[in-house]
Amino acid sequence: MNGFLSVILKEFMHLRRDRTTLVIALALPMLQMTIFGYAINFDVRHIQTAVADLDNSRESRQYLAELHAGQYIDYIANLSDPQAVAQMLKDGSARVGITIPKGFAKTMLQGGNPQVGVMIDGSDAQVSVRARFAFVNPPSTLPKGVPDARINVLFNPNSKTANFMIPGLIAVILQIVTVALTAFSIVREKEMGTLEQLMVTPVGRLALMLGKLVPYALLAMVELLAVMLLSNYLFGVISSGSLITLFVMSIPFVVASLALGLLISTVAQTQGQALQLTQLTLLPSILLSGYVSPRETMPGWLYMISTALPATHYMQITRGIMVRGAGFFDLLPQFFTLILIATVLVYASTARFKKSIA
Amino acid sequence: MAVENIIDAKGLTRQFGTFTAVDHVDLNVKKGSIYGFLGPNGSGKSTFIRMLCGVLQPSSGEATVNGFDVKQDTESIKRSIGYMSQAFSLYRDLSPSENLRFFGGIYGLKGQHLDDRVKSVVELVGLQKYMDQPSGTLSGGWKQRLALAAALIHEPPLVFLDEPTAGIDPVARRSLWDLLFELSGQGKTFFVSTHYMDEAERCSDIGYIYLSKLILKGTPAELKRLPEVSPSGTRRVSVETDNPSVALKTLKALKFVRDATLVEAEVHLLVDADAPDSAIVDALKSAGLPPHEPRPIEPSLEDVFVTVTRSLNQA
Repeated sequence: MNGFLSVILKEFMHLRRDRTTLVIALALPMLQMTIFGYAINFDVRHIQTAVADLDNSRESRQYLAELHAGQYIDYIANLSDPQAVAQMLKDGSARVGITIPKGFAKTMLQGGNPQVGVMIDGSDAQVSVRARFAFVNPPSTLPKGVPDARINVLFNPNSKTANFMIPGLIAVILQIVTVALTAFSIVREKEMGTLEQLMVTPVGRLALMLGKLVPYALLAMVELLAVMLLSNYLFGVISSGSLITLFVMSIPFVVASLALGLLISTVAQTQGQALQLTQLTLLPSILLSGYVSPRETMPGWLYMISTALPATHYMQITRGIMVRGAGFFDLLPQFFTLILIATVLVYASTARFKKSIA
Repeated sequence: MAVENIIDAKGLTRQFGTFTAVDHVDLNVKKGSIYGFLGPNGSGKSTFIRMLCGVLQPSSGEATVNGFDVKQDTESIKRSIGYMSQAFSLYRDLSPSENLRFFGGIYGLKGQHLDDRVKSVVELVGLQKYMDQPSGTLSGGWKQRLALAAALIHEPPLVFLDEPTAGIDPVARRSLWDLLFELSGQGKTFFVSTHYMDEAERCSDIGYIYLSKLILKGTPAELKRLPEVSPSGTRRVSVETDNPSVALKTLKALKFVRDATLVEAEVHLLVDADAPDSAIVDALKSAGLPPHEPRPIEPSLEDVFVTVTRSLNQA
């Protein structure tokens, strides 16, 4: 035990001098506890629901109101066409669709049990179980004639977890590898001294950023292919939708993640710091993107944060295509959001990178 | 006159917080010269070079490099200069050939022109045999030759070399300097910072920076004739010796000896002008040393810098 106390003392002195490590060690756990505590919530409420009330009677409206009162069902669209309701489920903007046929009130007033068409997006088992539950105990204050909800679970009807989790996992894995690919690229040149040489050349800043990005983007696409093949081989997950669409729509996500890595690389002073920052981006992408628990359960401010994450939108794309068989045009909003995020990140990393010292 | 100055700095100053790293430096470099930029570590050499290369903004003052303003036209400067740093700063995992092609590409060279330029700089520095091994495995001297080749790939009229020979062996050092002379003869201008006095002696012009200020400038011959280097009433002599440490100690103790330094197997002395050579010979004799006759010498550049720095410190 030679020098035991001296080493203890020395380490305390390092800690006291290294404010960054101290702040990370003390402040970060509290921040993470606050954010992720709210994020992980399996008590799904306020499921986004689209309605086509073809009867449009006092009774039908009362039925819908009572479903809403149960807190599980939130109406986000009132449509006149059952086809439009189905489309909203396919493109992922609604999780539940209700169609009330004409004659609902009439059947009810005659003492019968009027039928109601219910479509539930089965891709997320947590959501679909809760949604089903909302229709199982039908509202009781109706005058007479309990409505008969005919539930039709779309997409992943067996609620197989792998079918839903693997597409999400692909998004998480792709983010982990891509951010790490570029996070070290500039800070490594800083440490090796090669950045000093680059600074005295006329190399363009955007040229340098995009030049570093393109090869890794190609590599990431190969990685995506490998992960897809493996998920099929190991878990029997096959995509319901077009793989070409999936690959095309993966491009802005890959670019956004690589640009995030570049941004980290311009901020970090050492490769050690780059590693810490890379890990820092990882947890929100897993916990806030909707991968672990549905975004519907998050408080509003957290929902806003999760909207800024590329993984959130990409997960909707992988799940949309692989689970629900969504097509390119169903997922255009997510696609353009990713392009926007990618553009902002490329711009930010280029702006942060200075071809001068101090 | 202004056209001849490839570097023209007036009152160039850089502060970091309250510390002034470069303090009002006026400096001109003529086209085709090898300008030696000397000074101890931390005196502001690298800061000054970085300002001239357009990677560090000056706090005040002005300068032009190749006619471009260091505050406004930094990217034009970068296109028109070569730069070679003290530490090897090319890609170690790439071969010399790949490094040269990469940097050539950055300067916009392509196709046949790029091939020709790579061939030309490789022949110039003699790298032919090592073109395909990782650059990191080259010896220090070859690394520096490769770095020089990269700095010359786009045919810049002016090349900055920041302590290019630090840590490389004497043979490699000499051959690098031979190369610089050859290129300077072809009209290239070099701005070289160095610690080595023998390198300084080879430069056509010299600037000496000390504590952030440029305190001496001129040709080596001009600097050696400066009155403050050989104060009136003194002269410089050299005495051969085969027992340097005893000789130095003995001679230093003499009243009329103002300064004594060992240079190889000789003691260089700064003595009062009226002190006779015989007094020196007598002192050697009485110390039991062979009585070599002193001979008059010119001050070396080292004498120049030591004398001027000392007098500044005393002031």
